[in-house]
Amino acid sequence: MPDARVQSAIAHWAPRFVSNGVPLTDFEEVTAAIERWEDWCSAWCRRAAVHEELGRKALDEGFGLSAGEHLTRAAVCYHFAKFVYVVDYEQMKAAHAKAVECRRLALPHLRPPGERVLIPYERKQLAGILRKPPGVTRPPVVVLCMGLDSTKEEMDTNESVFLGRGMATLTFDGPGQGEGEYDFAIRGDYEAPVKAVVDYIETRDDLDGARVGVWGLSLGGYYAPRAAAFEKRIKACIALSGPYDFGDLWDTLPELTRETFRVRSKRDTPEAARKHAASLSLKGVAGRITCPLLVITGKLDRIVPWQDTERLAREAKGPAEFLLIEDGNHVVNNRIYRYRTQSADWIARRLGPPTT
Amino acid sequence: MDLAVGKKDSRVESAISHWAPRFVINGVPLTDFQEVTAAVDRWEDWCAAWSARAAIHEELGNKALAEGLKRSAGEHYTRATVCYHFGKFLFVNDMQQLRSAHMKSVECRNKALPLLDPPGERVAIPYEGKQLYGNLRKPIGVTKAPIVVMCMGLDSAKEEMDDYENRFLRRGLATLAFDGPGQGEAEYDLGICPEYERPVKAVVDYLETRSDIDPGRIGVWGVSLGGYYAPRAAAFEKRLKACVALSGAYERSSSFEGRPVINVEAFRVRSKSSNLEEAGKVSARMTLRGVARNITCPIYIVAGTRDRLTSPEQARNLAAEVSGPCVLDVIEGGNHVVNNLWYRYRDQTADWMAVQLGALRV
Repeated sequence: MPDARVQSAIAHWAPRFVSNGVPLTDFEEVTAAIERWEDWCSAWCRRAAVHEELGRKALDEGFGLSAGEHLTRAAVCYHFAKFVYVVDYEQMKAAHAKAVECRRLALPHLRPPGERVLIPYERKQLAGILRKPPGVTRPPVVVLCMGLDSTKEEMDTNESVFLGRGMATLTFDGPGQGEGEYDFAIRGDYEAPVKAVVDYIETRDDLDGARVGVWGLSLGGYYAPRAAAFEKRIKACIALSGPYDFGDLWDTLPELTRETFRVRSKRDTPEAARKHAASLSLKGVAGRITCPLLVITGKLDRIVPWQDTERLAREAKGPAEFLLIEDGNHVVNNRIYRYRTQSADWIARRLGPPTT
Repeated sequence: MDLAVGKKDSRVESAISHWAPRFVINGVPLTDFQEVTAAVDRWEDWCAAWSARAAIHEELGNKALAEGLKRSAGEHYTRATVCYHFGKFLFVNDMQQLRSAHMKSVECRNKALPLLDPPGERVAIPYEGKQLYGNLRKPIGVTKAPIVVMCMGLDSAKEEMDDYENRFLRRGLATLAFDGPGQGEAEYDLGICPEYERPVKAVVDYLETRSDIDPGRIGVWGVSLGGYYAPRAAAFEKRLKACVALSGAYERSSSFEGRPVINVEAFRVRSKSSNLEEAGKVSARMTLRGVARNITCPIYIVAGTRDRLTSPEQARNLAAEVSGPCVLDVIEGGNHVVNNLWYRYRDQTADWMAVQLGALRV
């Protein structure tokens, strides 16, 4: 029998992995072959290496389009090897480096291509991926905020829906996330990194700094509205399955979630992590949100109760819409067709490009 | 019979264990596959259950279209199309249900066509006093594009082809997925035609009438039974410049032994045979022995070592007999049409076809 963490992975993660780019057979075979959680990272890395090799072969043969797709699949597999694998930091770090490397190799070959950008932040830098829709001058930009275990390497399919509708995407690793998880701890006042991102966008003459939206999923479903509350240059916000107050949720969270939060918060003890979780809160903050807000979650979410997410929509001061998907799970990964294109259409209208 | 209570019948069991990879990579959301198959116990309920799920996507498409959100509408309609299609695909036990699901599938794809990126158009191809129907899509920004003629199999139809089409289109190739005799819209009037060079000739004749397609750069592609049809056509139709064959037979026999019951029944019905003996005679006409040597255009043959319908031996025999350049790719661990390891051939064959037909390497 696989251990409880592996069983939990199999039971809950298939829709997310697959809709974000892992081939179904990879998910089935890799998870079926793992008995112990300790083997998770290496098993996914081996599968990722298959895609990486296909990508490098295509590159050698001059088939850029294929290479971009293989390498993006490799990046997603390496990413999921790493995502909550805080049990072995060195292994996690190596898998993560491969995820970043593969996605970087893919970037120039994507349609549309992507560009790695470095955003000045606290005398260091945050890394992001910028992609622009073809044939649009100075497009609006959607800033994509990651969660506790997602990183910019997982976002290909999410970026595509915005790009297909005439918007640029800037997916970035903030503090405690992806490339930002080594130097920076998770911080509740996420408006600070988002301010740095918007400042950066304003330096670029190929982007429209007056039409910036923000999007976030899971813990990013807290970060994005948090940023929108303080950063008034943000013109619209989408929040997916975000907690209202992470401290209030703490005792009900799965153990692996709490441990991942502890490590990425750079706290030594569970108690210190719990205290830090309390700093992720929209209490007294949600009321400052004045831009249009779209809040989405699933009624079957077992991580963040839907009532939490709804509270954000209720307290916001601007025009707010709440989309509750009856049979949706956390981030509604099991029913992406109920919100993914819909929310992209929604923000396209708020940010101004013609709807297509 | 009490033993069977609470258990699924074997046809549904077989569906669940074999079809997930195909359904999902061809456009069915994973949760739809899991939920619909979990809720179906008897094969007789298959078509209705998939049609009910398809209707959800169709409704999302209608809503998006009403709001002027064309791109979203096109995607929802395409998902509706494949769900209706899989409701229908092997449901020959109830032709009325099959036909109404099929009509919905065609209707949803027709609604999607103008909304796709790039868009598609429905075309009618004159064929032996009747018409065959196809979906033609052209790559953006290419004048007089080369084109890939896509041949369906026993249970696929042009409505299932969105993913395959997109891979060709992104590489500068137009696509024409069509329903030949015994397939999709042509399965009511016309029985399965082992001499598939006939419908393909009609398709190529049709393409020559179009000023927006390059008739000098036509390739042919086929999946499953179409993996027999495509090389069969290439052996006779010299206007075809390249061929991709996926998990097709080199030589079938009159026996259906060892094949899944629903596949055999679909073959019988679609070959317009009143019994298996008659169906066997149609099946026995499907051969490339002594025919494949006339294939002189380049060919790319794909097979899986774990294919339970068509042994990889068939692919080896075909490769051994062709006269032109040949790539034989027998994929370790691949199932029928290698749908479980699609990343090992879908892009690769599209790249290969693009090179053969002189599209720019991308």
